[in-house]
Amino acid sequence: MNRALRFLALAAVVALVGAACGGQAAPPTATGTAPPTTSPAPTLSGSLLIWADETRAPIIKTFADQFAAQNPGVTVEIQQLNFGDIRDQLTQAGPAGEGPDVIIGAHDWLGQLVTAGVVAPIDLGDRAEEFLPVAIQAFTYNGQLYGVPYAIENVALVRNTELVPEPPATWEELTQVALDLKEKGAVDIPLGLQVPDPYHEFPLFSAFGGYVFAQNPDGTYNPEDLGIDSPGGLRAARAFREWTKMGLINKDVNYDVMIEKFGTGKAPFAITGPWAISQPDTGFKATGVPYVVEPIPPVEGGMPRPFVGVQGFMVSAFAKNPLIAQTFVVDFMATDEAQYALYQVGGRAPALRSAFERASSDPDIQGFGQSGANGLPMPAIPEMASVWTAWTDAYTIIFSGKGDPEKAFRDAAEQIRTLIAGG
Amino acid sequence: MGRVGRAWPALSVPPGLAVKLLLLAAVNGLALLGLPRMVEQRQWGLVVGVVVATGAVDVVYLSRVRSLLPLKYLIPGTILLVLFQLYPVLYTFYTSFTNWSTAHNLSKEQAIELILARSEAPRPDAQRFQARPLVDPQGRLALLLTDRQGRLFLGTPNGLEALPPAEVREGPAGVEVRGYHQLSLVEAAAHQEELLGLRIPTAGGSIRLNTVTTAAVATPTLRYDPRRDVMVNVESGKVYRPVEGRFVADDGEALFPGWRVFVGFDNYVKAFTSPAIRGPFFRAFVWNYVFAASTVFLQFVLGLALAMALDHRRLRWRRVYRSLLVIPYALPSYLTSLIWAGLLNQQFGPVNRLLGTNLDWLGDPRWFGLLPKSAILLVTMWLGFPYFFLVTTGALQSIPAEYTEAAAVDGASGWYAFRTVKLPLLLTAVAPLLIASFAFNFNNFNTIYLLTRGGPPIAGAQTPAGHTDILITYTYRLAFEVGQGSQFGFATSISVLIFVMVMAISMLSYRKTKALEQVR
Repeated sequence: MNRALRFLALAAVVALVGAACGGQAAPPTATGTAPPTTSPAPTLSGSLLIWADETRAPIIKTFADQFAAQNPGVTVEIQQLNFGDIRDQLTQAGPAGEGPDVIIGAHDWLGQLVTAGVVAPIDLGDRAEEFLPVAIQAFTYNGQLYGVPYAIENVALVRNTELVPEPPATWEELTQVALDLKEKGAVDIPLGLQVPDPYHEFPLFSAFGGYVFAQNPDGTYNPEDLGIDSPGGLRAARAFREWTKMGLINKDVNYDVMIEKFGTGKAPFAITGPWAISQPDTGFKATGVPYVVEPIPPVEGGMPRPFVGVQGFMVSAFAKNPLIAQTFVVDFMATDEAQYALYQVGGRAPALRSAFERASSDPDIQGFGQSGANGLPMPAIPEMASVWTAWTDAYTIIFSGKGDPEKAFRDAAEQIRTLIAGG
Repeated sequence: MGRVGRAWPALSVPPGLAVKLLLLAAVNGLALLGLPRMVEQRQWGLVVGVVVATGAVDVVYLSRVRSLLPLKYLIPGTILLVLFQLYPVLYTFYTSFTNWSTAHNLSKEQAIELILARSEAPRPDAQRFQARPLVDPQGRLALLLTDRQGRLFLGTPNGLEALPPAEVREGPAGVEVRGYHQLSLVEAAAHQEELLGLRIPTAGGSIRLNTVTTAAVATPTLRYDPRRDVMVNVESGKVYRPVEGRFVADDGEALFPGWRVFVGFDNYVKAFTSPAIRGPFFRAFVWNYVFAASTVFLQFVLGLALAMALDHRRLRWRRVYRSLLVIPYALPSYLTSLIWAGLLNQQFGPVNRLLGTNLDWLGDPRWFGLLPKSAILLVTMWLGFPYFFLVTTGALQSIPAEYTEAAAVDGASGWYAFRTVKLPLLLTAVAPLLIASFAFNFNNFNTIYLLTRGGPPIAGAQTPAGHTDILITYTYRLAFEVGQGSQFGFATSISVLIFVMVMAISMLSYRKTKALEQVR
């Protein structure tokens, strides 16, 4: 008797809890199995999940809310991730059915995202012509467009106009001015260049004729032709070592040191991008340091060519709401209004022509634009992933002041070739 | 709820039983909460596991069969062991026999679907339309299309039909045409699978929706033949056969994405034969062994020395000292490792300023990175000595005072008495902990990664490697940093190898410990 009662009580409790839980779990399963042709009064509301990083999440939010307001019943949720994590998380979460509908990312992720099969093609049709060609080209992979570009970014020279009123005509002149100021004790560091970082070092590297991958006639990169140990690359290796010996480049300068020293007037020059200007609190705009953005002057007569990166919206191949996702990125974020607002927050040049023209009265945009006009698109091919660590290691050796600089680049090139061959 | 609430007092259930039933109900409720989702994702193994485990818990705790009594104590631990230890280990083993990586990330079904979808993307010069999705009272879907010249068409699965503008009426909720009315975005979202699947046959392909407002003509360039399990190019007839998780044509052209397949021992073969591994791997192994052994030794010696020093009964403030010494252990090592990295910075770090030196503590590559290696050992010693300080303090107190007194009576000096009486007794108690600590430090990824990221780089290594890389950080580099994307299959195979090594070392050490106990 007693046992029977116990089981009865248990059954009651279990049923109760089960019912409570079942009640919550029911709606998603019910909608998932909705019959294919129902009457046109759907009870479901579309929801969109976007992954964005901390700087872009708030601004996307305003547009997302606007989108939701214009389409009653649509909800948009924004999840904040570290910019660098978005790519790898999408690769894992997407196929498992846990990922977002839309992500914000950089064009050089495409090699990996397309190989992994986690982004969907986007069709802009005629509207592609409303964008700067470089932006569309960057988001085109194997002949297909995979993103709606919204910003173009590259590094440039940022000069403290109080310490250095006139732009140096050559890199050699810049070096002289910077080292003189350091010697006089007017500044803490002569140059705000974060090291070891192949991306930030690339303009100086390329000025000597060095290249990462050779470009095919159509502008795509050829992974078979690696140019880190090309004659130009090796000359750059020697130059970097000389600049280290002169004290122009210091191995302990990272992003934080660079932004702090230039932002407080303790560095006459910096080689950096729009993010250092627009960053809250410590950015150059926030600290009020007098600055101007301009192209890096020629190095031994060679033109510095920064990497140009394009950022944009991509749609997950595993989006739960592919139609809304496509509509949001194509019809809503590819607008002048959205692109201009994103420029105002991030300080990066808009990818849409009309917004770009509106923004180009901004002297910073002009400066970065002039610098980027000489630039090269950042390679998006998957082989590029094998380049970064090996090249960073080589720069570490060069800036440490020990060992043969040319050998460091030759070793890095060999390492990269080994890695590419090994898949 | 109300009815049950009233019924309970009448049953006069003892409070202990009530708590038990509530806890069981919670367990059952949790299982029920998770099941629909598992079913939805077709995780059948998980479903069976959850049902069996929950059922077992219910039976064991509700049954009065005496023989099940021991299970009451064993079953929660067993389930947690299987869930958090056995499952990850088995999954790691399983993964090490697959080619799971960025390029082989999906299931075959997913890959086929994506390859076909990509092959149907409109070409840049394809004809495009403005589109409005429509539905009729029977729920049939159609598209109202406007071409570049502004001509209107009604697109249905049967084909394209020109519409006189007069037939299209603009209403407050969108257009109405021939009994169809326009779907709002939300309504379209509810039908998005069918809308995206809608194909309107026309010259040169079929029209499909891109967004709620645009459509384009496209033709798939590939077709999947399930009978032969091949992809076929629709125009040229070129055949792509599945090879190791990818569709590959006879001329070597491969279609992306690929999918995950079982590759047997390929990852292990690669681990032993690839030049990338043969070179830096051995160096990493030697340093790994030195690192783990020295770390445990230094932590133990310092902890023991401090414990002995504070073992004097007459020492004042003994408790205060003891509490202070535990601080490094109480702080999260993520934080303290990063702080140490800052302290040891060559130009801006206080350590150099304090010592009046200009040493590159974490970055000097000379003498096989002797300086960074030493710095790492000092930091790990600082991070971990409080553990052995606590453990040995307890063990020392459990050694009866008579033993040491007897040794003193027999005329043994302090050091001799310690070495022959106290230390052996201490070691029997602490040896298993030393082994456990060794196993932990063998895979101490966090400290290495946060301090040096494995650097400084080894000049001229076959693949990027650092002087302070241990096996697990080197594996991380190979699998996630230097390759083209993530290589889970390969990374797990190396993890399995490391697991085997640590297990062998631990088993040998335990055998030695047994010998130690015999001494006693």
